[in-house]
Amino acid sequence: MGEAVNNTTDFSAPTMVEGTAYVVAVEGNMVWLVPEVGSSCGGCASASACGSKGIGTLAGRLEARRFQLVNDAGLRVGERVVVGIRENALLKASITAYVIPLTTLLSAGALAQWAAGNDTVTMVAMFAGLALGLGLARLGAGRLLVRGELAPRFIRRASAGETCNS
Amino acid sequence: MKEYVLLMISAALVNNVILARFLGLCSFMGVTTRIDTAVGMGMATTFVITVSSMADWTVETYLLQPYGLGYLRTVTFILIIAATVQFTEMIVKKVSPPLFQMLGIYLPLITTNCAVLGVALLLVEGKMNFIGATLFAFASSIGYSLVMVIFAGLRERLALAEIPRLFAGPPIGFIVASLLALAFMGFSGMSATS
Repeated sequence: MGEAVNNTTDFSAPTMVEGTAYVVAVEGNMVWLVPEVGSSCGGCASASACGSKGIGTLAGRLEARRFQLVNDAGLRVGERVVVGIRENALLKASITAYVIPLTTLLSAGALAQWAAGNDTVTMVAMFAGLALGLGLARLGAGRLLVRGELAPRFIRRASAGETCNS
Repeated sequence: MKEYVLLMISAALVNNVILARFLGLCSFMGVTTRIDTAVGMGMATTFVITVSSMADWTVETYLLQPYGLGYLRTVTFILIIAATVQFTEMIVKKVSPPLFQMLGIYLPLITTNCAVLGVALLLVEGKMNFIGATLFAFASSIGYSLVMVIFAGLRERLALAEIPRLFAGPPIGFIVASLLALAFMGFSGMSATS
């Protein structure tokens, strides 16, 4: 996901974070898409030194991030499209995945240290807190999913040469 | 209690990972073109640094120190960090596949972030207890995230500013980063007066 929509006329419109993806399969009324890698990752002059080329752009990794969309636009296999998510969806997703487990982890650790003052007890309490937080994160993610806040939306077909950085 | 609060303020502001220790500069310049990506990267890094530091402290205390294996510290910590990133990726994928689709892109970048290894080595130097080490790692990564978000906000404004052609892009970014570092130097006065 790269650039935001440059909407200079309607300031009340929700800001979207855009990214390009291409269609890999069509199943009935649904299409499967795989996100494209931004040109900054693996394409720049520092790719060999950066490490993102070897780790972040493997086909298998991208394949693991494939997602589904409703095919209202009549998309076909191989077509490139621009998809978007609301800007605050990324923030909500980050809070759900990371902040909730960290909060329970640190709270459990602080409580255990205050009650027992022992490293081993604190360690066990923190790992238990982490497990509890991950459970809560799962519930939170389920709620976001039901509200449809995690689903990318089709915006338009990508023009030739258009990337998430253009 | 007071010592932990001071430890956290010191780690987050006075000895900021990016602006005082100059660690994690690759992501500092690379992922700060937009605030939302900086927030995503910051939160993911905070999680990984905190969890990997817990594992680093445990291995250091119960394995490396008792058996005199200090010379394996760097290699061991790199292995732990890589394993933590993989663990986080697996967990996020398991907890919610849509979350993984949205946030998974930041995780591989953390493996090569020297701030994660830097914090782990710093907490060994500090000879802290478990909760102290965890809070130090958490506060350091909060400081990292704070600077990432501030810098991303500044760069979003810079993108709209009229900048001389020679300074456009990374050069003005580095100038702004140096001004930000000067501003953060003000926090070192806190340790001098307290």
